[in-house]
Amino acid sequence: MADRDEIAEAYADWRIRCNENDRLRRMLRGWDRVVHLVATDTGDRFTVEVRDQMLAELAGGTDAVADLVVTATSEDFADLFWGDLNPSEKYMSGEITLAGAQEDVMRLDAMSMVAFLDR
Amino acid sequence: MQDRECEALIVGAGYAGLSAARELVRAGIDVLVAEARDRVGGRVWTTTSPTGAVIDHGGQWIGPGQDLLQKLADECGAETFPTFTTGEGVEWRDENRTTYAGLIPTSDPAAAADGIEAIFELDLASTEIPLDAPWDAPDARARDEQTLGSWLAATVSSPGARAIITAAVKSIFGTEPGELSLLFTLFYLRSGGGLMNLARTTNGAQERRFAGGAQQPALYLADELADRVLLSSPVTAITYGADTVTAIVTPPESGGDPVRIRARRCIVAMPPALSVRLDWSPPLPGRRDQLSMRAPMGSVTKIHAVYDRPFWRDEGLNGQVVSDEGAIRVSFDDSPPDAAHGILLGFIAGDECRALDAATPAQRAQAALADFVRYFGPRAASPLEVLERHWPAEPYTRGGPVAVFSPGLLTGFGPALRDPVGPVHWAGTETATEWCGYIDGALSSGLRAAAEVIAALAR
Ligand SMILES: Cc1cc2nc3c(=O)[nH]c(=O)nc-3n(C[C@H](O)[C@H](O)[C@H](O)COP(=O)(O)OP(=O)(O)OC[C@H]3O[C@@H](n4cnc5c(N)ncnc54)[C@H](O)[C@@H]3O)c2cc1C
Repeated sequence: MADRDEIAEAYADWRIRCNENDRLRRMLRGWDRVVHLVATDTGDRFTVEVRDQMLAELAGGTDAVADLVVTATSEDFADLFWGDLNPSEKYMSGEITLAGAQEDVMRLDAMSMVAFLDR
Repeated sequence: MQDRECEALIVGAGYAGLSAARELVRAGIDVLVAEARDRVGGRVWTTTSPTGAVIDHGGQWIGPGQDLLQKLADECGAETFPTFTTGEGVEWRDENRTTYAGLIPTSDPAAAADGIEAIFELDLASTEIPLDAPWDAPDARARDEQTLGSWLAATVSSPGARAIITAAVKSIFGTEPGELSLLFTLFYLRSGGGLMNLARTTNGAQERRFAGGAQQPALYLADELADRVLLSSPVTAITYGADTVTAIVTPPESGGDPVRIRARRCIVAMPPALSVRLDWSPPLPGRRDQLSMRAPMGSVTKIHAVYDRPFWRDEGLNGQVVSDEGAIRVSFDDSPPDAAHGILLGFIAGDECRALDAATPAQRAQAALADFVRYFGPRAASPLEVLERHWPAEPYTRGGPVAVFSPGLLTGFGPALRDPVGPVHWAGTETATEWCGYIDGALSSGLRAAAEVIAALAR
């Protein structure tokens, strides 16, 4: 189990790497979205905003209306952001779920794989 | 010569023809379905092997968004179960074997990232294609003059990334990337929710299988249609006027007398390349015939190796392969839900399928087993049995999984795909807008053609 602070710390690290990654920035073109993260075990909720090809800082709670909702265990969120977990593997096993419009799911799916591979 | 009459004749009892027939019967129309084979289902065919394994020789998977097929499966009680995906896949590249987790082989992370970006760019571009009129897409002409192969060569610099995409594309289309119009590729991807979606097991087109085989819903529809379905009844000629169609059924040698079927409307529910093998009178309009000349069937052989148990699972492998060498370059764990047998399913696609076209089934089986040994170890050499279906040799399919549209087809001839010719209407998965190439697309194409016929008969 990972608490809110751990997830926030891991995300901060991931965010820097993503925002410095040219390939990822290309893939985020024209894609401003609000993404909710829901930890299935702790019930913790976060909001990530993508704007102008950049990831914003992690916000607690899920107040705004989301385009996409990602669910995973708190541990998996932390591991994912630390770059220790291949999101494709957990998506394939059904342990990570993505909900949203098909094109948005496709984008997030692809960019999370690239973030892992280019880490 | 025996004479029969009906209001609407359907040629072909694949999922498209069966779905059209059901819809017409529901509208109170008198229907006959002439099917060349001694079974329904067309490109979907389930048998039980000598050791008792349920084998789908053709179409087998169902995935999210394939709602028509799911609804039909629910209605007839055909149970589905998830494709086995637990564990790692095997990547074979440059004579090296490695294992990987997730969708994409990762032995070379930079190549994998390039591959994902390329898939992403294709999927993004596909969202610009209007499904009902791909010829109206932005840059339609320029895209229809390119092939997926030329796009890959120009866009994707990493050979590893090209290899990953090529392996996926070959098993999806049964052809080499250089044979696919880029515009058609983008249309097809959009129609099935993107290449990522088409390549995936979980959350994608290979997510689930039918416990009793994918032909089960077709048999259910045939049962409902009862003696309206005429098996072993190949149509050899169609004569059409303004409001009548006459089809000649020439049964195989042992099969009795020829039959002449008169109808007011006809739905031809088969791939374009097969529909022009009928003797048409008057000849089909040039545009329709030329469209069919540009829509060859892909080249695919499906091989099932049946073992006493899925031994690869013991080593943490999920049976999936992505390879750049050998006859089989993509494989899956095709074991039954209770794992009473272990079954490896391999696809021989594109050039490899053509190279083995003249081989005997035993020779193809040998090539497949050599590949499985390379991927899964020596135990793969001793299956209980090997079953194969070489689709190019099937008289009433002549390839698969789908027709592939050559450059110039969509922009030069596109509307002729669905435009009726007098009283003749066109169905078949190749005419579908959603899930083109898939069973679900076959079902929707049948509904669309049936609606045309219902409207025409009401006039
Ligand atoms: C190896 C393989 C794997 C596949 N995998 C999948 C999958 O996993 N999931 C999926 O959704 N789809 C899959 N597909 C595709 C799917 O099988 C097809 O999209 C679908 O079955 C097409 O249905 P249809 O009715 O349009 O055409 P068909 O099934 O081809 O039906 C045409 C019918 O017309 C009949 N016919 C032909 N000529 C004549 C004639 N002269 N007179 C009378 N009848 C005639 C044929 O016998 C046939 O029954 C696969 C296909 C293959 C070959």
